[in-house]
Formats: sequence, structure tokens, C-alpha cells
Amino acid sequence: MGTNLLSEYVNNIIYGIRTFLTGMGLTFKHFKNKKDLVATLQYPNEKWPIPERNIGFNEEDYNVIRSRLHVDIDDCIGCLQCEKACPVDCIKIDTLKPPKGSDYDCGKTSHDTQKKMIVPRFTIDMSECMYCDLCVHPCPEECIYMVGGPNEPKHEIDYEFSQYERHGLIFEFATSTEQDILDIGGETYLKERNEKAERRQKGEKLEGIVDSDASGTGNTEEPEKAKHKDPLLEIFNIVPDKAARGIAKKAIVFGKRSGFDFIKMSDEVESRITASGKTSSEMSTAIENLKNYKPIISDDVPSDDTKQVTGESEDKKGTQVSEPKSFGFNIKSLDFITDKMVRGIAKKTFMKCKRSKLDVNATIDAIITDLDANSKLDNETKETLLSFKTNNDTPSDPSLEENIKEDSVKEQTDVLFDIKLLNDIEDKMTRGSAKKIYMAGKRANKSSSEVVDDILNELSDKLDDKTKELIGGLK
Amino acid sequence: MTSIVDYLLNLLSFIEIDASLLLIFVILIPGIGLFLVMTVNAMVAVYMERKISAFMQDRLGPMEVGLFGFKGGKKFWGGIGQTIADAIKLLLKEDIVPNDADKKLMLLAPFVIFIGAFLTWIAIPLSENLVVSDFNIGIFYIIAMSSVGVIGIILAGWSSNNKWSLYGAMRAAAQIISYEIPIGLSLLLVVMVTGSLNLGDIVQWQADHRWFIVHSPFTFIAFFIYFISVLAETNRTPFDIPEAESELVAGWMTEYSGFKWAIFFLSEYANMLIVSIVASVVFLGGWLSPLTLFNIGIPDNWMFLDGPILGFFWVLIKAIFLIFVMMWFRWTFPRLRVDQLMYLCWKVFIPFALANLFFVSIWELIF
Repeated sequence: MGTNLLSEYVNNIIYGIRTFLTGMGLTFKHFKNKKDLVATLQYPNEKWPIPERNIGFNEEDYNVIRSRLHVDIDDCIGCLQCEKACPVDCIKIDTLKPPKGSDYDCGKTSHDTQKKMIVPRFTIDMSECMYCDLCVHPCPEECIYMVGGPNEPKHEIDYEFSQYERHGLIFEFATSTEQDILDIGGETYLKERNEKAERRQKGEKLEGIVDSDASGTGNTEEPEKAKHKDPLLEIFNIVPDKAARGIAKKAIVFGKRSGFDFIKMSDEVESRITASGKTSSEMSTAIENLKNYKPIISDDVPSDDTKQVTGESEDKKGTQVSEPKSFGFNIKSLDFITDKMVRGIAKKTFMKCKRSKLDVNATIDAIITDLDANSKLDNETKETLLSFKTNNDTPSDPSLEENIKEDSVKEQTDVLFDIKLLNDIEDKMTRGSAKKIYMAGKRANKSSSEVVDDILNELSDKLDDKTKELIGGLK
Repeated sequence: MTSIVDYLLNLLSFIEIDASLLLIFVILIPGIGLFLVMTVNAMVAVYMERKISAFMQDRLGPMEVGLFGFKGGKKFWGGIGQTIADAIKLLLKEDIVPNDADKKLMLLAPFVIFIGAFLTWIAIPLSENLVVSDFNIGIFYIIAMSSVGVIGIILAGWSSNNKWSLYGAMRAAAQIISYEIPIGLSLLLVVMVTGSLNLGDIVQWQADHRWFIVHSPFTFIAFFIYFISVLAETNRTPFDIPEAESELVAGWMTEYSGFKWAIFFLSEYANMLIVSIVASVVFLGGWLSPLTLFNIGIPDNWMFLDGPILGFFWVLIKAIFLIFVMMWFRWTFPRLRVDQLMYLCWKVFIPFALANLFFVSIWELIF
């Protein structure tokens, strides 16, 4: 028993060593014989041969095959039919004609057609090609075709044309040498082509076109600046002397405050400059510019044109000069009041209302009541104040209100007086009729006086004396 | 036999230099040198492993990545730059730490394993006089230090908080500790014959007498016991049950990635080279030329092949051959079961090693 166990043990070990050596020999055989046995195929470098196949009919019997495009460039006459047919524009062809009178022979195609030009470039980008076969059919010489299938005799099939880099998929079929191009008189073509290639090599095309003028950005900035800077003051920026520039600008600000026109303003500037002895050629051109200055946006400055507008609206626009952003009512709007005392009371009330954060309409109402209490309120002031009120206050008739809103933009540029001025009419009926007439007149582009006449004529029996006077005042 | 540390100390003692600064120099220079050796070894060994694996499986292995534009031939040198690319990739990878892992221990583990391999390298002679520190207990030190890595493996397996990691770590610990015994016994046999633990003395003994592998039938068996046992110690196939990919994904390395995993890899291949060099030094004559073994009469002007300068070359050739055999084993033998592994250790190697020890002492008494 014990001997059996021991012999089994020893036999086991001997068997182990024998199989060990057998196994080692087997693996080593594979290790050294790998040339014959190696199973790996280094795919893009090596390829399996395409097996013969038999599917019941011949390759030539295919109706159509969609594989790689091929061009027999010797047959190409440069008609560009295939380029035009291509839906994805993957075919690019350049052609060169020999100059008139030259006896350059472009050769003949296999169909015995005389070629009239040479094709220095014929590229097909197979990464874009969608294998639609549309370029094949228009070709008059049948020189562009899909390889294989029915075209097997012309070119064997190309199952795989994978490339390491993408531009490897752009196939160049043209065979014209540089000498051919020069012979046909295509020096400029050659030069352009080389320049293009050079630029592409440098990567310049990738940078895109940068416009050095940067006009786009300038255009967007200018109106922004105009809002913040007074164009009148900028006229004097051409003057190099800082002190003289300051004097001139002060004069302009003074002139603007006093409501001078440009001629007067320039006179003021000239007198001040001569007084300080800072005259220069730049200064005189600047003054000349100021004299001839025509405001681009009429609202910006009080000019002769705007003066024709009725007194009330001029005041309103005057406030817009100093505060272009606030189109509504602010403390400077009260400057129209000529009487100092009255203006002071009005401004105090305004500040009080501002502190208690009342809205514009409430503020104006408060000012009117305050002035009334001090018996300083005259008709004109009241009207102007009321004209500052916002649309919320406009009367009841909803259809009218809509009309007003529609035309409110038009109103500002029109010479017609504000419809809000009619709010002073106390009788509701009369006010509504007056506004209707006003809108009708507005649509007919009538002037203020005409509209007022219309109102007076049509409503003569309904109007009392006070209202008549009020409407008459609008002229 | 002098060592690199002695040499540096002698060299720098001529310069008037502070002792502490001197110590830093003497430690740093061989340290950096050893690290470079380990790195280069890992790169070369990984490439070798992949190529040999591929050839034995009738494949080609890495074929695409060249080195400095040199892409090599069609066969062995085909993808010479592959490991460099892989190393860069590994270092750039994200360092993933699982949520429930013990993060400190998980960070510590690869360094413990690396330190084990690194410390072992100190006593490894690459040639005569080409050893960082020439211990008079060289073999003992190497056996002691090569078991430090077990701590790192258990740390890695435990801290990963993953069943595969833990299984792998436990298997690795059991396996490594078991196989320390046959390794120790087979080396003890050599120590008994030479009467010295110093590796230089052992090689000198082989120079005076003959290589240990051909010294006696018992030392011949001892070499194979040693070599198969170190396969288990370094977790190579067919003893790779700690990281058996079909059962445990990657064993104790499952949850590691990026730089930490690279350190595991580095240590693993460093250990492979260590055990191969120890085998070649102790049993295969170390830096002695194999030409003398076969008593080939070489002409006098060819004697440079046997000179001391070529010691490094011969050690390396022997070690690389052993590494090649390890890789050869990998693709020849299927993995052992856990019980088979233990059977082989406790019931075959240990009795044989003990018997060897007994018979070799009788052999030494007689001859």
C-alpha cells in the first residue's frame, strides 16, 4: 500500500516533468515558426485577396454599380457636364483653352472627338461623393464612370480606398504637366494655382478674411457716442490748443442755454476767442463749421426748423436736449415757466412729490393745485403742465384711445399740436367730438390751424366761450 | 568586493564636505540610479512580454508606435515605442479612488510594495563590485526584504473595499508566505556549501569550483525548486491565482488606476528581475562567463569576453534568459487551482528541498 502510494507520487512527478517539457516544446515551436503561422494581417498595409465569386451572372451584366468614381482623363473634353450635374459639388474641373490662332493640338478622344481644351485639374472628393451616379450619365465621351460592375473591362473594382488622412480622398485625375499648361499659354493660371497652393500650405486660408477697416464696429459705436456727447462741442475737437477749446465750448454751452441759433452761437464763440487772443486757423474753420452746422437729428438741438413748432412743443423738445433719455417729465421741464416765483413754487412741489415717489400725473396735478392755491396759475402754464401728463390720463373713449396710441409715434414729428391739449375741454361729449375731428384732420395731414378751424366750425353750437378761447389758443 | 556606496564615500572623502551632506549624496545617487534601472527594466520587460506573448500566440503584438521615427522591422522591433506611449498614458490617467475605500491605506499600499522592491535592489549585485551596498548577509537580506511587499498587497486588498481585491490579497499573502519556505531552503543549500551569505563570496566560490547548477544533482534540483517557487512569489503564471483575471478581474489591483497602478506594475517587473538576477548569481555563476563553463578554448585576443567589465553583460544575459523562460511558462501552462498550488508547495517542494539539504551535506562530506 505504502509502496503503491510512493510509486504513484513519483510517477506523478515524472509525468509532470514529461508533460512540462512537451508543453514547453510546443509553445517554443510556435515562438520560432511564427512566420508561417502568424495570423495577424496588418490591414491597411496588407490586404486579403478578394475571393472569386459566383452569383449566377457576370460582372458585366450589372445594370449599375455604385463604387469609386474614375475618369479616363484622355477622353475628357472639359465640357463640365459632370461638374454641373454633381449635387454635392465634389467634382472640380479647371480647363484651359489655347489662344485664338495658335496651332496647339489638344488631342483626340477615343471617340475621335477633337478636344478643344486641356484639363489641368480634375479632382473628385470621394469623401463628399454620395455615389448618386448622376455625373456619369451626362458625359458625352463616357469617360467618367463608377469602377467595376459593367465597367469592369475599363477599370477593375475598388472596394476600399481608405486613407490615413482626409485629403487623401481627393482624387486628382488630371495628367497635364506644367509644361503643357505653359505651352497652351496658361502662365497666369499656373501662377494663381501655385499661389493658392502656397497659401494653403501656410494655412492662411484657415485664418479667414479680416477686414482692416473694422467699419462694422465703428458704425455700431457712433450713434451710442452721439447720445452722450454733444456733436456741437465735438466740432472744436480739431483745435489743438486746450485752453482755446475750453473757451469755445463754454461759449457754446452758454449759447445753448440762452437759446441762441448757430449763427449767434458762432458769433458768441468768435467774440470770446478774440477777447482771449487765442485765435488760430483751426479755430476759425471750427467756427465756420459751426455756422454751417446742420443737426442730423432735429430733436437734438434747437434749430430754426424746430422753432416753427408751437410754443408748447418747443419747450418740450428743449427739455429733451438736456435729458435725452427721459422723454417724460422732470424738474427741468418746469424751466418753461418764466416767472421766477412761480417756477420756484412749482419746483418745490415737484421735489416733494418726487420724495414721496408719486407718478408723473399725480405730480403735475399737485403742482397745478399748489399754484392755484397761490393764485399764480395762468392758463398757459396749466396747459403746458397738463401736456406732460402721460397717456393713462387720456379719456374714456376706448376706440379713440387706440387710435391715439397708433398715431402717437407719428405725432411727435408732425407739426400738429398734441391731442392731449384737447383734454382741457371739460364737457366729455365735446371732448370726444373734438378728438374725432382732430384725428380726422391728422389723417388728412392738416396743419394745427386747419384742425382748430375744423373743430370750431363743426362744434360751434356746442362750445361755450371759454372752450372756444381754449381751442383758439391752440392755433 | 567593493560596493557603490563605498566607492562614492572614498571618492567624496577627498573633498572637504559636511558629513550629513555627504550622506545625502551617497544615498541619492545610487537611489536615483536604482529607480532608473527599475523604470527601464519595466519598459523593456513589458515590451518583451507583449512581443513574446504575441509570438507564442501567432500574433504580431504592438506594431504601430515607433521611437524617434524609427519604426523597426516587420517583426520584433515593430512597435518599439509602445511602452513609452503606454507609460505616458498611465501617468496622465485619472487617479480613481472608490468612495468606500480606505483612502489613506489605499494611497500607502503601492508605496509599501515599491519600497519592498526598492530595498531589495540595494543588495542585488549587477556585476562584480557593481552593487549598491555589499552586505555580508546579502541573501538573507534579499529574502527578508522581498517579503515586505506582502504587507503592501494586503493593504491594497483590504483598503480597496472590494471583494475581488480582498480575495486576491488573501490568496497572494498565503501563496507568497508558503513559497518563501522552498525558496529559503534551496538558497540555504547554497549557503551551506559556500559557508557564506555574501553574494560576492558565493560567486567567488563558483569561480573557484564550478557553477552551482552543475555542482551536484542536488543543487541542480534546488535550482528548479528555487525558480518555480519564485514564479509563485512574483505571482507569475501558472501561479497567478492572486490576480486571476478570469476569476478576480485583477485581484488586489482591481481598484487601482493611473500612477498607483503604474507603481504596482513597476514593482512587479522589478521583482521579476530581482529573482532572475538572484537565480543567475547564486546558481548560474553570476558575472562569470558561460564560456569557461563549457571549457571552450577561446583565443587570447578574445579574452575580453571573459573580463570583469563584461560581468554586467553576463548577469543581464542570464537574467533576461530567465525572464524569457518565465514568459515562456506563462503561455504554456494553465493556471493552478488554489489547492494544487498548496499541494505543490507543501507536498512536493518542501520535502524535496529538505531531502536536498540532507543529501547535499552528505555529498559535501564525501567529495
